[in-house]
Amino acid sequence: MIEVPSNPLAWVNGSDAPEKTDINLGFMALSDCASVVVAATQGFAQPYGLTLNLKRQSSWANLRDKLVSGELDAAHSLYGLIYAVHLGIGGVASTDMAVLMGLNQNGQSINLSHGLQAMGVTSPDALDRHVHQTRPKLTFAQTFPTGTHAMWLYYWLASQGIHPLQDVDSVVVPPPQMVAHLQAGRIDGFCVGEPWSASAVQQNLGFTLATTQTIWPDHPEKVLGCTRAFVEQYPNTARALVMAILEASRFIEQSTENRRSTAQLLSAPDYLDAPLDCIEPRLLGDYADGLGHRWQDPHALRFHAGGEVNVPYLSDGMWFMTQFRRWGLLRDDPDYLGVARQVQQLDLYREAANAVGVTAQCPDLRSSQLIDGKVWDGSDPAGYARSFKLHALSDSSHRFAQR
Amino acid sequence: MLRILLINDTAKKVGRLKAALTEAGFEVIDESGLTIDLPERVETVRPDVILIDTESPSRDVLEQVVLVTRDQPRPIVMFTDEHDPGVMRQAIKSGVSAYIVEGIHAQRLQPILDVAMARFESDQALRAQLHARDQQLAERKRIELAKGLLMKMKSCNEEEAYTLMRRQAMSRQQKLIQVAEQIIAMSELLG
Repeated sequence: MIEVPSNPLAWVNGSDAPEKTDINLGFMALSDCASVVVAATQGFAQPYGLTLNLKRQSSWANLRDKLVSGELDAAHSLYGLIYAVHLGIGGVASTDMAVLMGLNQNGQSINLSHGLQAMGVTSPDALDRHVHQTRPKLTFAQTFPTGTHAMWLYYWLASQGIHPLQDVDSVVVPPPQMVAHLQAGRIDGFCVGEPWSASAVQQNLGFTLATTQTIWPDHPEKVLGCTRAFVEQYPNTARALVMAILEASRFIEQSTENRRSTAQLLSAPDYLDAPLDCIEPRLLGDYADGLGHRWQDPHALRFHAGGEVNVPYLSDGMWFMTQFRRWGLLRDDPDYLGVARQVQQLDLYREAANAVGVTAQCPDLRSSQLIDGKVWDGSDPAGYARSFKLHALSDSSHRFAQR
Repeated sequence: MLRILLINDTAKKVGRLKAALTEAGFEVIDESGLTIDLPERVETVRPDVILIDTESPSRDVLEQVVLVTRDQPRPIVMFTDEHDPGVMRQAIKSGVSAYIVEGIHAQRLQPILDVAMARFESDQALRAQLHARDQQLAERKRIELAKGLLMKMKSCNEEEAYTLMRRQAMSRQQKLIQVAEQIIAMSELLG
C-alpha cells in the first residue's frame, strides 16, 4: 500500500518539489494548443515530478467555468478570457486570475463565406462597400465575447472603417463548430484559430480575407492561464509547469521535422481530430487563401522563438484591457498597469526560463505597430483606449455632459 | 441515510454501539467478532462507513483494515478502550480515519462520523496524488531505460535519443511512454 507521508507539508522547509503533482490541464481543439499537448504526452513534465492530464473542452465558456471552479488546474486560454474573468466581465463573478506564460503568437484568421466570394466581396474595400450599401447586416462569428478572436475581428473591421458593433452583427461559436455554421449559412464570416480556417478553405466553403498577423505582427494569442489562488497555493507546481511547456515549445521549433510530427500528433482523435492536411501547411507557414494566392508567411503561428513568444509582457495584458474599454466592455478605466502586474506572473516566468536555459532578461513591456499605424507600447493605456475613431466607449458623452 | 457496517470485536455478546447507532437513526449491519473476512463483507454489504468496536485492536484487526483501505477504501472509525499511543498510531497508519477511546454517547456519534468522513476524503485525495507520483516515477524510469538502449543502438547522445523517440511517438500519435515500451520490448526480443 502507499504510505501517507508523516508530514505532507515537507516542501515548506525549502524544497522546490511541486506541491501538487497531478495536474488537470484544459485545452481547446486548436493548432495553437500544440505546446501543451506535446508537453503532456512527450515526457516533458515527468522530470519535474508532474503528471499532466489533458482535458479537452467543448467551448471557451466551458473551459472558463472549469478553470474558475478548480476542476481544471490550468489551461490553454485566450488572453482576453483570463482578463475578463479577472475583471468580472461576462457571465461570472470576478476571480483573481494569473497568466503564467504566453503559449503562442499569430496564426488566427478572418474568413468570409463562399457566398460573399461569389458576389465579388474578396477584398477589404469590397467588404467595406458591401457592409455600407447592403441590407441585411452580415453576421460574423468569433469564439468568446472578450476573447482574442472578437478583439482581432473588431480591430480589423474598425481599421477598414466598419463599426463592428453597429455595421455588422456578431455571434459566438465554439472553434470546432465554425465550419459547420459557415456551411449551414448561419454566418457570413468568422475569426478563428487553425485548423478551422484552413479547413473552411480546403472544403471550398470560404476564403481567408486577412490573417491576424497582418493586424499585429507577432501578436499575443493563447496563454497558460490559471487562478491566482493556484499560483499562490502551488508555486513550485506552477513554475515546473512553465518549465515543461517552455521546453516543449522549444522542441516543436527545433526543426521542420519536429513541426511536422507535431502536426501529426495534433491530428489524432484525442486532440484536434482533424485531417493532417488542414493542420500541417499553416503550422509550417504555408498559406493558401482560397482565392488563388499562396505564400510563405513570415509571421505564422509560433510557439517559442527563443522565448520571445512566451514572456507574459505587461503591455500584452494591458492591450486587451484597452480594447475592452474601447468597445464598452469596461465602463471605466481600470488600473491598467496595476492589474497587469497582478495577472502577468513575470517573476515566476523568469525563474522558470532561467532554469531551462531560456533567456530571462526580457523587458516588462514591448512596442508594436498595428495595422492602422498606431503604436502600442503600454505607456499610456487610458489615452490609447480613447484614441480610436471607431469605438463604443460607453461613458464618453455621458461624462462630458456631467462636467 | 448512512449505511454502517458494525464489527463487534469485544467479549460482550451484544455490543455497546448497536443501540446508540440505531437510536441515532443509522442503518446498521451488525457483525460479531473479527473472525469474519472483512474485505469480503465490505464487498457484499457496501457500507458508507465501517465501525469497529474493539477492546484492543490486535494485529489481525489492523491487517484486515489495511486490506480494506487498499482495495475498497472506506472511512473506518475505531472505538476502543486501548489508551496506548503506540497502538493508536499503528491503527491510524493502517488506515483508520478516527480512533475514539471510550465514552460512547449517542449524541456524539454524528459529529464523530462527520469528522471521520472528512478525514477520509482528504486522505483519499492525498493517496491518489501519491499513486500518481509513483506511476509517474515508474514511467520516467522506463523512458530512461529506453533512451539508454536507443543511445547504444544508434550510437547517439542523450538529446538525440530523446528527439528520435519523441518524433516517432508524435508521428504515430502516441505517448512517449508507449514508444519507450516498444523499444524495450524490441530490445528484449533481439536480446
